[in-house]
Amino acid sequence: METKNRGDLVINGIGASNGGQFHLVTLNGRGTVNSDLECSEFECNGSGTVNGNVTANTAKVSGNASFKGTIESQKFTVDGTAKIGQNLYAKQLQVSGKASVGGKVKAEEIKLRGILTIGEDCEAETFKAQYRFTIGGLLNADQVDIEIYGECKAQEIGGQTIIVKQHKGSFMGTIFKPFFKTQLETDLIEGDRIELENTIAKVVRGNQVRIGPNCHIGVVEYTEEFSQDKNAIVGESRKA
Amino acid sequence: MSEELISKKDLLDIAGISYGQLYRWKRKDLIPEEWFIRKSTFTGQETFFPKEKILERINKIQTMKENLSLDELADMFSPNISDLQLEKDDLIKRNIVSIEVMNFYLENDKGVKIFNFPRILEVYILEKLLQSGEINLDEGKMLLQVLKDNAQHIKQKSCELVFTRKLGVSSCLLLLNTEAAHFERGTKVVTTLALMTCMEEIKSKLL
Repeated sequence: METKNRGDLVINGIGASNGGQFHLVTLNGRGTVNSDLECSEFECNGSGTVNGNVTANTAKVSGNASFKGTIESQKFTVDGTAKIGQNLYAKQLQVSGKASVGGKVKAEEIKLRGILTIGEDCEAETFKAQYRFTIGGLLNADQVDIEIYGECKAQEIGGQTIIVKQHKGSFMGTIFKPFFKTQLETDLIEGDRIELENTIAKVVRGNQVRIGPNCHIGVVEYTEEFSQDKNAIVGESRKA
Repeated sequence: MSEELISKKDLLDIAGISYGQLYRWKRKDLIPEEWFIRKSTFTGQETFFPKEKILERINKIQTMKENLSLDELADMFSPNISDLQLEKDDLIKRNIVSIEVMNFYLENDKGVKIFNFPRILEVYILEKLLQSGEINLDEGKMLLQVLKDNAQHIKQKSCELVFTRKLGVSSCLLLLNTEAAHFERGTKVVTTLALMTCMEEIKSKLL
């Protein structure tokens, strides 16, 4: 993308723009962009609204942003809250605040340290999550690494290596523990190597399956190895 | 259209692949979403696949992945093609189009001599049908017009091209994601052509 010769769009205070092609786009106050944006860097520090699609090299939301359309960006970082109406395509996706996506998410690397809500499927090469997420469709990633702090949900999970761990709670955490559900809930988990803790699943299928404490699994189907913690409930396990 | 289905478990067994591979291929769009058919069985939800298609596809992936990367493979199977551009002479040299058909195409389509993928597809289909003698030149013009008018549909969906003739009057139509089509009595279906297959044929010729 040749962007060097393009102008910048900067909105400080209250303002609106019709969108278009820019080099840098910065929304600092209450900025509204009324159609599609194409830029090399997008930044939103105040409360921004884009009523269209965004194509960018890097996009960063530190304040509060809402996007009506689809976002395509090499790097997408959310430190504040972001709401995306349709799909999100990014190489690197980092969420430290809160992000919600109405459609699907496609990324190479997803790092989550906040709250992520996805309406449809989520695809990535690596999916690393700490804290909370809700995925309406399939979570499909080569490496799934989940550390549970709160309530996590996905309709299905599939991939090569799937590891779910309970966060080693802090002092405050143990006091308030009864009020929070720290669990992963899903219908189906399929992978080559699966290690689970604190997970509720109807079906788990894999080659090597290790069910850790506080799990509640309906059926486990495995081909090579299976082990079960004494604090786990497994309805049925069979070697396929 | 009923076809034989295969469950995911059996598929992994027969093809000798792992869950990781299957999910990776799905991520790379090597296996189309429509092939994942969900059904409830007595063990809960299970995923099934159209047996013939999926086995053929996996076979292709396995034989080709030795000399192509997964991304290149994905380009090959995906219907929306990259920024491929070829010259008129390239297409003739690679045996995608004969000189006669190419000249006929250029007569009707006053475009430049650079071909992007949609145009390659058009000329390839034309070549295929003209060379097989199933349509004549006038019908070729009609075909081109249908393809051009519906270019944006062809990109996204799995399309089938149907050519019919009744009492010497021919007609050409494009079916999007259809299961079946029925015609009135006396209609002769000259040919049906799945555009997806055409695209794959072209791509395998290009590589």
